[in-house]
Amino acid sequence: MPTGVAELDRVLPGGGFPLGRISVCEPRGGTTSMLRAACQNVVAGGHRAAWIDGARTICGAFWDDGPLLVRPDSHTHAVRAADELLRSGGFQLVVLTGVHATDPETMRLMRAVHDGGGAFATITQNTTMAALRLAAQIDGCEWSFDPFGEPAELEAVHVRVHARALGWDKHTTFTIPVRTHELRLSLESGLADRRGLLASQRRR
Amino acid sequence: MLLSAAPRVCVGGLVGWRASGLERKPSSPPALQPTSPVVWVDSRGLNARVLATALLDLMRDDGISDACAGVASTPVAAQLAATNGAPGVTVVEPGTDRAYVALFPLTALDVPPRVQPLLFGIGVKTCGELAALTRESVEVRLGADAVPLWKLARADDGRASTLFAPMPRELPHATLDWMDYEVSDPARLLFVINALLENVCDALAAAGEGAREIAFEFSLVNRSTHVEYVRSTRPSASRQAWMRLARSVLERLALPAAVAGVALRVTRVTDREERQTDLFDRGLSTVKATEDVIARLIDDQKNVVVLPRNSMHPLLEERTMWTAGLEGQGASGPAGKQLHSLRPAGPPARRPSLTLQLSSLPQEVVVMTVVRRDHFVPVKFRDRTGWHEIVNAAGPDRVSGAKWDGERAYAREYFRCVTRDGSVVWLFRSVLGRQHNWYLHGWWD
Repeated sequence: MPTGVAELDRVLPGGGFPLGRISVCEPRGGTTSMLRAACQNVVAGGHRAAWIDGARTICGAFWDDGPLLVRPDSHTHAVRAADELLRSGGFQLVVLTGVHATDPETMRLMRAVHDGGGAFATITQNTTMAALRLAAQIDGCEWSFDPFGEPAELEAVHVRVHARALGWDKHTTFTIPVRTHELRLSLESGLADRRGLLASQRRR
Repeated sequence: MLLSAAPRVCVGGLVGWRASGLERKPSSPPALQPTSPVVWVDSRGLNARVLATALLDLMRDDGISDACAGVASTPVAAQLAATNGAPGVTVVEPGTDRAYVALFPLTALDVPPRVQPLLFGIGVKTCGELAALTRESVEVRLGADAVPLWKLARADDGRASTLFAPMPRELPHATLDWMDYEVSDPARLLFVINALLENVCDALAAAGEGAREIAFEFSLVNRSTHVEYVRSTRPSASRQAWMRLARSVLERLALPAAVAGVALRVTRVTDREERQTDLFDRGLSTVKATEDVIARLIDDQKNVVVLPRNSMHPLLEERTMWTAGLEGQGASGPAGKQLHSLRPAGPPARRPSLTLQLSSLPQEVVVMTVVRRDHFVPVKFRDRTGWHEIVNAAGPDRVSGAKWDGERAYAREYFRCVTRDGSVVWLFRSVLGRQHNWYLHGWWD
């Protein structure tokens, strides 16, 4: 099942996430972005995708409509939701984040994904029973600078992804932009703004 | 049985008649023009004779002593019995309505003026003689106007459906009471509920319906009753689905006494929806399974399927309100649309972008800073995993507000930092009050 990121698909066995198997992504380094892109790609292809936000770290301002967003309130609920969604067979891709499933839970999830036939990706350090392992790391950053020569905006990052599976070991590097939210800065006269100026100074 | 009571009294007496609990229609029937006003009473499911007697007693108490009542299966027979029968209650036995009506002269019915000479011409004087004719001959000889009269003469009166609302259908229910012991063990209670649910769900399935709500009534040994309403996200006739809900209810239920009986009553039903979809849609075969699994998730974990609703609050964690994605809005809601958007070709996928992940609660960290122009920037921070060196930091982005709101006031300086191991983190320093603590609020991933 292609992820929609051409550079990544090129280094994945079969050109994407394996169906009916577990794929494990190590936390940080842009893995969330890659999986969200994969979910969007699935939805764009006319299928369904679900995102289980086990740690409730999804920021609403950055959420793009498309995948079904599930926010369980406990570890058990998150694993159960993943199990049910995978077993239904109605989702092409189910992503579980913020939950480090135990070995019995992973075994249960493996059976569910096998029964459902979709793809299952989880962000965790536990790589037990994973058919595909992805490790990503931010290799470099592209900054824009202000007139003082200080960093102003983080424009993009270079992500290095290492894909490993049985008899498979490839890596790639690609650049992804950084999204920032709309800042609403200091509105009060007694507080300095981003430039270190008070409101009275700004008026002058 | 229909009951018609026709008091030979003025209309004012009827309006003041105390008949609470009895359904009555003060309007007279359309085809008959009796000289006395008529009250129609629906006695379906009741003992019509007893009801009529009680009704006349009530009227007598109100000073209407000469009221008459007729009881019959058809309105025309009941009305003729009431207006032309003996004083008191006249009962037309079921199945004899036509024979009863046949005895009356045609003048007892409302004969159209145009038809009267025609009937006289062919020598038809009673309802029985008119009923003996065929419909074709009535239409040919007397015209179409005479057909309703012919129908009334045959006691073929379709007014019953317009006079009275249809009887409300009884919804499935099941009850079990026990006398010689009491139940306080939830497992045994669940066993009983399971047996009762089987009856209820079988009845629902036979009617092609699904229950939206079932009332669980527990009769307690202290002579009180505890009612628990259990609602399902989707109409369902599945015993498994209702058992799951029953289990979750029993888990949190605390009853003041042991149980001596359980009754299950379906209180809300809807037809089970089968969505019409295109055979060539992708995912057609899995729509029902998907809806079922999401309904199950919502039943088990409440508002777990969510959608963000964002405002422009300066604080990012306050900016989003998570709303239920499916519950209460059904398939027409945004998430519902997502579920059913099974178009073969969707919009093009976006390129990935690094987005901010927020900690559920800002995590306090220790930060080392250096002076940069007129402000401090972090160069190193320590969280639960140890020290992290910051190679680049952009900021500060100063956010403040709610100074008028006491404890909710905030003033923060945010920094976007890249650590040596490649993480992009979001740190802020709270500059409210004297203690300026540092927090890790999120990271880009």
